[in-house]
Amino acid sequence: MRLRIFTYAVLVAGCLFAIFPYFLTVLTAFKGPGQLSETMPWEPGLPPSTAAFERLFSSGFGGYLVNTALVTAGITLGQVVFAILAAYAFARLSFPGRDALFWVYLSTLMVPPVVTMIPLYLMMQKLGLVDTWAGLMLPTMLGTPYAIFLLRQFFRGIPADLEDAARIDGAGRVRTLVSIVLPLSKPILVTVTTLAVVANWNSFLWPLIVTSSEDKRLLSVGIALFKGEIGVDYNAVMAGSLIALAPLLVLFIVFQRFIVRSVAVTGLK
Amino acid sequence: MLRRAPRRTSRIGRGRQTAVAYALLAPSLVGVLGFLLAPGVIVLVLSLFDWKLLSTPEFVGLANYQKLFTDSDVWHSLLVTVYYVVICVPGTTILSLLLALLVDRKLRGMKYFRALLVIPWMATPVALGLVWSWIFDPGRGALNQFLGVFGIDGPAWLSSPVLAMPSVAAVHIWQFAGYNMLFFLAGLQNIPRSLREASSLDGASPVAHFFTITLPLLRPTMLFVLITNVIGSFQAFDTIFVMTEGGPGDSTEVATYLIYDEAFRKFDFGYASTISVLLFAVVLIATISQFVYFERRTTYEVSG
Repeated sequence: MRLRIFTYAVLVAGCLFAIFPYFLTVLTAFKGPGQLSETMPWEPGLPPSTAAFERLFSSGFGGYLVNTALVTAGITLGQVVFAILAAYAFARLSFPGRDALFWVYLSTLMVPPVVTMIPLYLMMQKLGLVDTWAGLMLPTMLGTPYAIFLLRQFFRGIPADLEDAARIDGAGRVRTLVSIVLPLSKPILVTVTTLAVVANWNSFLWPLIVTSSEDKRLLSVGIALFKGEIGVDYNAVMAGSLIALAPLLVLFIVFQRFIVRSVAVTGLK
Repeated sequence: MLRRAPRRTSRIGRGRQTAVAYALLAPSLVGVLGFLLAPGVIVLVLSLFDWKLLSTPEFVGLANYQKLFTDSDVWHSLLVTVYYVVICVPGTTILSLLLALLVDRKLRGMKYFRALLVIPWMATPVALGLVWSWIFDPGRGALNQFLGVFGIDGPAWLSSPVLAMPSVAAVHIWQFAGYNMLFFLAGLQNIPRSLREASSLDGASPVAHFFTITLPLLRPTMLFVLITNVIGSFQAFDTIFVMTEGGPGDSTEVATYLIYDEAFRKFDFGYASTISVLLFAVVLIATISQFVYFERRTTYEVSG
């Protein structure tokens, strides 16, 4: 009993520590300029003020938000679809060079993104894609080796008999993939999609390098540059941070059960 | 792992199956070979060139590497990076293991506690860096205001050359402890019940039980957590970019920041590529040595 109370006490303290920066962000974002200096950081500003958000949106922040949502959706869709196709080929088809190619894919997992950033930038320059939507999205949207790896492992665990039955009935490869394999793969699809959404929404270094015009700016770049432009206007900076943090937070709360389970899956194999 | 799939090629021609396979692989071939593997090779080539903005690339052999070995900025930033890794990796690993032990119980509401602890992992690093800059703000930030309640005059965390790095590293630990907890939790739950309970019957203390039974059985999870964290923290950039911009002075100028600075502010692509190759080599050596260490320990265990 004493142990249980102790456990709860530590858990509550730990969870408070995990989420208090979010509280501070919300509180600060809704304070007026005067309230910031009159109140402690952990006190709410009364009455709440939306002045910081108005300042943000009048300086083009709405556009960054739309850009980020569309780019995240586009890259994620590409990554998941193309990873599914590649993983299915690796898991179910036999063709010359398969195993060697799979090892090549896996080995690229070891190349840190920051190492590839300079050549990638120069490639985009050669292709004339610097500061374009294509340059922003193309390098990552054609499938990531990690997603391909996770999906392939899962596909191999699905009994081949199920597909053979459908194929005898005359279904083609793509039909069996869509109607048999994918419905059985929901857990891993949730995992792969979650990891992709988080990575793409949060992505910073590549958008910072490859885009320069404001109409293609993403949230992460927007708030980082914003700090430099306006100095320490913490109300606006926290309002911007809140806009960046909130969508993933909502996503997490809705899919919390699946996400916690699915993250753990990736560590096992 | 790479067993051949059962051959079921009699019904359709092999050629056709190969064509289908490569059609399915086509997009990822461009993505993985073109945008991951090729840049990894090109960076090696670039490191042999003198290539500044607007100038024509000129082959200089190993000159960039010669410069690298005598460049105190590079070695300083490598040391700073290692310092960051040395705070982050043990900090994250130990904290996440303790959290996993804590949440590996059947108590009411436990799944909500687990979920809350994982939340920081999803946070946009840039936004997070800004939020923590505000918390660390020397004048009105939450940390120093809180310390003020107890009459303590808090320091200027991020503008002190001594405190800036631990402060930035603390944010990394805060962000990833809950996430890594999930891997340890999965590892703990894979340990058979019988082994968990056996030595408590022997009267072994929980601490002794942890070090003799639990920890050795967690070795595969430990390797995974260590390797992913070492690789991740060697590449830290986003939070440092917004929190300190490498400063004060060059006290938080990690290698990725130096590479970014050389390539995209000074436009010295050749030399920046050389530093990238160095960073890549360091990450690779760190990763391989962990594999070797764990391999040895495990064989030792089996034969001894």
